[in-house]
Amino acid sequence: MSHQPHILVIDDEPQILRALRTILTEKQFRVTTARGGEEGLTHAAADAPDIVILDLGLPDMDGITVCARLREWTQCPIIVLSVRDSERDKVAALDKGADDYLTKPFGIEELLARVRVALRHSARAKGGQTNLVRAGALTIDLAWHVVTREGDEVKLTATEFNLLAYLAANRGRVLTHRSILIHVWGEADAEHTEYLRVYMRQLRKKLEADPNLPQHILTEPGVGYRFIADD
Amino acid sequence: MANRRVIIIPMHFRSATLVLTRYLLTSGLVALSTLILFFMRDVLTTPLVALLYLMPVGLTTAIWGLGPGIMSAFLAFIGFNYFFIQPYYTLAVRHTSDVFMLLVFFIVAVVISQLVGRAKSGLATAMAREREATQLYELSTALAGLHDERLIVRTVVEQAQAVFQGERIEIGLADGQQITVSFPPDLPNPTRQPELTIPLQATRGDMGEMRLWCSDLPISVSEKRLLQTFASQGALALERARLAEVEARAKVLEESDQLKSALLSSVSHELRTPLATIKAAATSLRSSEVSWASSARSDLLAAIDDEADHLNLLVGNLLDMSRIESGALKPQRQWNILSEIVGSVLARMQHLTMQHRLEIDLPEDLPLVPVDYVQIEQVLTNLISNSVKYAPEGTVIQICALVEDGSVRIQVSNQGPPVPVEHLERIFEKFYRITNSDRVTGTGLGLSICKGIIQAHGGRIWAENLPSGFAFNITLPQVWEEASPLQLPPDWESA
Repeated sequence: MSHQPHILVIDDEPQILRALRTILTEKQFRVTTARGGEEGLTHAAADAPDIVILDLGLPDMDGITVCARLREWTQCPIIVLSVRDSERDKVAALDKGADDYLTKPFGIEELLARVRVALRHSARAKGGQTNLVRAGALTIDLAWHVVTREGDEVKLTATEFNLLAYLAANRGRVLTHRSILIHVWGEADAEHTEYLRVYMRQLRKKLEADPNLPQHILTEPGVGYRFIADD
Repeated sequence: MANRRVIIIPMHFRSATLVLTRYLLTSGLVALSTLILFFMRDVLTTPLVALLYLMPVGLTTAIWGLGPGIMSAFLAFIGFNYFFIQPYYTLAVRHTSDVFMLLVFFIVAVVISQLVGRAKSGLATAMAREREATQLYELSTALAGLHDERLIVRTVVEQAQAVFQGERIEIGLADGQQITVSFPPDLPNPTRQPELTIPLQATRGDMGEMRLWCSDLPISVSEKRLLQTFASQGALALERARLAEVEARAKVLEESDQLKSALLSSVSHELRTPLATIKAAATSLRSSEVSWASSARSDLLAAIDDEADHLNLLVGNLLDMSRIESGALKPQRQWNILSEIVGSVLARMQHLTMQHRLEIDLPEDLPLVPVDYVQIEQVLTNLISNSVKYAPEGTVIQICALVEDGSVRIQVSNQGPPVPVEHLERIFEKFYRITNSDRVTGTGLGLSICKGIIQAHGGRIWAENLPSGFAFNITLPQVWEEASPLQLPPDWESA
């Protein structure tokens, strides 16, 4: 990358800030930190970071509010850091515009992977989509609606393809049940998670080597799904 | 009416008519004796008449008591003087000897009636005392062992009513529970104020009062005393019941306190063990005295990583446990496919189950289950990790499911050692371990969390020994809020 990506970390834990600053600086990122929501919003407005890492439990305002306020004016990727066992918070943050989430405690490799996914996604959004998505033996042509597995075409229903296309276009990112349902079935079916369960099972049977141990369509427990591709 | 009350107190005549009748009968008896003696006066000497006159005096005293006795002595004296002492038919006395005789007769008559009367009244008092003692004994026997306030109050009211036969008796408790028991039941209280109100006095003050309605009969001093004794017996029984209740509550508190401190000490032990490893590894790596070979270095780092995960798991389990115990663990139910949940459990546990062979047997047509994905994932994770811990390496761990009686039954079985029958239930208790806790690592909470989650789902979990191993069983209801599984989306399978 030509310029050093700029990461804004908003978290009230000094130890987390210290660790992230050290690690991310070491990994050639430019790092700004903020200890609260207001301070974070000010920094975001002043510095226009390439990515925001946001804690949900902030002293002065709720992380989800920060998420919503950021989305009012910027599309910069937001990765949420949340404590365990608050799937509802995670879903709320994702539905309010966050791009990804990570559970505390987290491994740094995991965080760096999510950061790379988010940066790639925003680069794609700016530079235009590639129509071909590769994931292991799978090739998905989003323009021609063709899916092949080890070179053989896989027959998908229209709904199955829409579902797969939405996942593939957002490869690497977590998608909530709600956002998938709205995108594929429409607003009226936003709560019908069971549709999703049945179609995902069907998709996995057609696409995965072992549908019980999926390698590409991963379940994010209590939150949604994530499609893992090669890039 | 006269003998309605069981207790008869001598010298205390409850009704004026009764008293009048007794005196009239006394007069009649003396008159009858006079008549008989009058007709026989020719064959009788005067001293003999005097002796015979003592008979009605003694009799009346024996039957009707001291008052009638004295009166009969007086009447006999008049009759003797009037009919048998010269001059006849006057109260005048001619001979000095006759004056002496009359005087002696009167004194003897009065003394006899006094003696007989006293003996009789003493006997009656003794009998009354005995009856009182019996009644009190019966009351305290009935009250012994009673711990329910309402039952105590009812017993006192019924016993008091049996003894006093008043119109109505009621006990109202002032503090705590508002208990009011009346006898006879089903009747409204008289509209007027009760004739007698006795406070229920215990060592710690008033507990309420006993109210009596008895319009027709006044209450004697001794009856009132007995009622007061009843009231205070009742009050003491109530107080004893309350103290017992307080003590029982204190005991429960103490026990839960002990449980908490046992839990805390167990938890702090569990928390410190991974912390000790982390601290030791981190300080070793920072130490400038040792230069670590790269393999040792990566071992220490792996230990830190693993123990941090273990610590995280423990904290999560503790949180779950406290949520289960406070009833805050509400499943976020959605229709789910069991095989998807099992799949994500297996993917997550790959590194832990490498030493065992896993066999999954889930029918393709297994219906969707209305469960909290994350919670059921955790249950299966805990059951599999328990199997991994106890079953020997290289053996099979099997997960199968089937529909049974309207529920989905899941079985996680392994080829581990059997669990003694008496432990099969208890392994789901917190921090309960069959083996020495140092030999197996874990939080001691896994199975009790499983139980909490499954119960919150309205299902059942139990363990059983198999012919060649051990199994956990779960049943999960197939219906959710009366709804049966979903309708498939409209364009299902329309390619």
